[in-house]
Amino acid sequence: MRQITYRDALREALREEMLRDKTVFVLGEDVGRYWQGAFKVTKGLAEEFGDERVRDTPISESAIVGVAAGAAITGMKPIAEIMFGDLSALAMDQIANQVAKLRYMFGGQTRVPVVIRMPFGAGVNIAAHHSQSLEAWFMHVPGLKIALPSTPYDAKGLLKTAIRDGDPVMFFEHKLLYPLEGPVPEEEYTIPFGVADVKREGEDVTVVATLYMVHKALAAAKMLSKEGIDVEVIDPRTLAPLDKQSIVNSVKNTGRIVIVTEDCKTAGVSAEIAAIVAEESLDYLDAPIKRVAEPDTPIPFSPPLEQFVIPNEKSIIKAVKEIVY
Amino acid sequence: MNLEKEKLLEMYRKMLEIRHFEEKAFELYGQNLVPGTLHLYAGQEAVAVGVCANLRKDDYITSTHRGHGHCIAKGAQLDRIMAEILGKKTGYCKGKGGSMHIADFSVGMLGATAVVGAGIPIASGAGLSIKLRGTDQVVACFFGEGASNQGTFHEGINMAAIWTLPVVFVCENNLYAMGTRQTNVMLIENVAERAVAYGIPGVTVDGNDVLAVYEAAHEAVKRARESRGPTLIECKTYRHKGHSRFDPATYRPKEEVEEWLKKDSVQRFKAKLLEMKILTETEVDKIEQDVIAAVEKAAKFAIDSPCPAPEEALEDVCA
Amino acid sequence: MVTKILMPRLSLTMKEGTVVEWFKEEGDVVEKGEPLVEVLSEKATYDIEASASGVLRKILAPAGTDVPVAGILGIITAPDEELPELEAAPAAPRIEAEEAVAVPERKPAERIKEPVIASPAAKRLAREHDIDLTKVRGTGPEGRIVEEDVRSLIEEVKAIPRVREVIPLIGIKKTAAERVSLSAQRAPQSTITMEVDMFNAVKLRERIHVSYTDMLAKAVAKALAEHPIINSTLENEKIKIFADINVGVAVATERGLIVPVIYNADRKTLQEIASVLKKLIEKAKQGRLTKEELTGGTFTITNLGMFEVDVFTPIVNPPETAILGVGRVVERPVVVDKQMVIRPMMHLSLTFDHRVVDGAPAAEFLQKVKQAMESPDTLLA
Repeated sequence: MRQITYRDALREALREEMLRDKTVFVLGEDVGRYWQGAFKVTKGLAEEFGDERVRDTPISESAIVGVAAGAAITGMKPIAEIMFGDLSALAMDQIANQVAKLRYMFGGQTRVPVVIRMPFGAGVNIAAHHSQSLEAWFMHVPGLKIALPSTPYDAKGLLKTAIRDGDPVMFFEHKLLYPLEGPVPEEEYTIPFGVADVKREGEDVTVVATLYMVHKALAAAKMLSKEGIDVEVIDPRTLAPLDKQSIVNSVKNTGRIVIVTEDCKTAGVSAEIAAIVAEESLDYLDAPIKRVAEPDTPIPFSPPLEQFVIPNEKSIIKAVKEIVY
Repeated sequence: MNLEKEKLLEMYRKMLEIRHFEEKAFELYGQNLVPGTLHLYAGQEAVAVGVCANLRKDDYITSTHRGHGHCIAKGAQLDRIMAEILGKKTGYCKGKGGSMHIADFSVGMLGATAVVGAGIPIASGAGLSIKLRGTDQVVACFFGEGASNQGTFHEGINMAAIWTLPVVFVCENNLYAMGTRQTNVMLIENVAERAVAYGIPGVTVDGNDVLAVYEAAHEAVKRARESRGPTLIECKTYRHKGHSRFDPATYRPKEEVEEWLKKDSVQRFKAKLLEMKILTETEVDKIEQDVIAAVEKAAKFAIDSPCPAPEEALEDVCA
Repeated sequence: MVTKILMPRLSLTMKEGTVVEWFKEEGDVVEKGEPLVEVLSEKATYDIEASASGVLRKILAPAGTDVPVAGILGIITAPDEELPELEAAPAAPRIEAEEAVAVPERKPAERIKEPVIASPAAKRLAREHDIDLTKVRGTGPEGRIVEEDVRSLIEEVKAIPRVREVIPLIGIKKTAAERVSLSAQRAPQSTITMEVDMFNAVKLRERIHVSYTDMLAKAVAKALAEHPIINSTLENEKIKIFADINVGVAVATERGLIVPVIYNADRKTLQEIASVLKKLIEKAKQGRLTKEELTGGTFTITNLGMFEVDVFTPIVNPPETAILGVGRVVERPVVVDKQMVIRPMMHLSLTFDHRVVDGAPAAEFLQKVKQAMESPDTLLA
């Protein structure tokens, strides 16, 4: 199979859906022909589809999402890009109170097919305002769906599903994943929401990881296998809906779980997954649930500081060894 | 402006419907039949009716927590609005929205948002949708002068302006944001002056004169429909009651209230129609009786309607 | 039209309001929309307007009254309308200051259970296989029991049959269990058996309507009188011989085995014994025996004949010295006067405390019982 980057996989998804459905359009700061997206995901799209459908906006995050909402409830399928996930805070009312609630408040009279794409995550030394992982914020808002692909294959398949979905989707892209290459078929495919992917099968311990942490977990698993510890790595791929069953089933087999996410530990994604495992598979746990997440600090700037707070292979191996005995 | 008799009577009837509907809602509230609270539109009828009289059924509006009048003016049914206010299954939102969140997508009423100012970018979005779909629809976006201090006012109107979107921004300046006087929170007298900042026309009209509102909106809607971009219309008006049903509005000087009650839009329009010989006293009575009967029927429908089943709370979260 | 003026809900949390002032008096003409009465909620005062035109016919809640939300404050009617019967505005229920609930002082630490450190999976497996975790050696950190530890133990004890249900030993069952184990632990016991020709006993039973057990009780009582060493107990290295001959008869009930006692059986006639025993058995089945009726026995008879048992080894009912096991009455070919004949035969099994008596005196005693049963007319004496 051909190998393409995560970035190109996303662009392919956007392009194919824009060709397929003329109500699909892209808007955001510097997504247009001059800059082509802060991470070049929209490269070439304005030339192909024109400035109307690949629309540069003022620096107005709240209105970017609000305008997307208004377009979505009147027949369009907007894909809004928030240049950095942290800036979603500026659009929080539109995301959490409008986009997420319009359908419910109005008794199901409308759908709100908005996709909000956001580059996320730490590791490129851009400090506290451009690096935090905020999945948990949105996981706490009923009405939002959350996709977070870790591979080029997943990125393309999930983005296409997100665009075709009738509900608002928060689409998390990890900055460090954009250049990652991986197999992506030429043929058309989509990936359903709520279906986790077992990135590596194993018998001794379940590791649930998302986004960039999937790759850290796979690297850790490789090292652990040399010591005879067989790690299963599960990538939920969407947090809402969350494929609880796959996680619970894996725990029922291994009896052990480590959850690895890049967000802060307190009230984070890992807390929710840990609670589900405790609720639904406690009797199969043969060791305490372990969480590997960021400490409760903003993301610092200086490389040694930043590297210290981001979970890595070492911290994952340590956690696994604490519960595999 | 020369309007046909039929159009004028239709406008008068709509204003009267809103007035009586709000009085009825107030009365049902007194009978403890309305859960939560109520923000009544009484006093501001000329704005909703003056603007919506220029709109087609396929045009859109966005509304606010004080939204019953907008719904009625855009053509939503009285009975289903009242049922929603009473939290009934037959309401427009099946009891999930209530007074502050009524929508009727079948008449282009895109819903009331109760976060002040949040509807402004949504209206711009509907405008962008129209532009991208290439239709000649128009959006009217209602909000109060309080909302004009929100960031969404700036962001949303600016986007509509730069993209030449077919949106009419209608600021209903009733002088108070809850209990806060306009003069305490902005140094300009007319919100319409802010239009200059976005390079769009801004006009201030007497919001209690339905024909003045109609005329301003007519120009703005025409401009929008012809893809010439948005307009900001400020309508000076006054709410008859407090901010919400809980508010005795003691912060408003008695003289001010009396002054504005003298300028009541419904009475003024009636006098005008009588003077223009478009209406006779007999017709006035007949219309009033018809409207009262319609409102009573809506109230009865709402009262007699069943409540939603509790577990319906779990429906409509996602499509 | 009768229009009620109700106390409105003036805030999201309002439960009641106070009437501050009526602007109109009873009988006054009021216009719809005109301020009628001022009320006070927890937040502010509020003027309630007349919701209809007419006459203020009745003020039900005068100034100063507390009225719950939706309570009636007053009535507006048409000028000449009849005032319907209406109840006065109900007084708002006052909430008394809640009494402080006495919270018993209890330190959290005192509530911590003595833990068995085991993983949930280990606990589940142990529960499923009825394994006591305190008996499992943990190999996890700090001795934590993990699933594998329980699994190994299960492999080891696989031979043990699985348990379907657990019946706690309580009441009669518990007492019985304690008594038999006491008996078995303390007294070395021996059982001897003899066959009895019941030919005459069968005839007697048909004649005077007594049971074999009645006859046996009488026969035992007589034999005990002649062999008092059997009517005894061993206590602190002393054999106590009882003066009273109290014969217990074991009865199987739904709740377990109990042994009602026929007091002074030696002094009772066969008919008296029959009548006493009948009552005791009835009461035993109904669970109505008194403590007195269940204690004081000096010898016990136990019958398994109805289950087709011939011979068995009963356990002595402590503190007694001996117990007589009764088998079934069954027709067998036997030799009588050198002739093979068919006779109703019965086995008696006597278990005795070998510390008190040895085989010979026990056999003599049993022989006495056998002879009495074979010549049951002696029981009528």
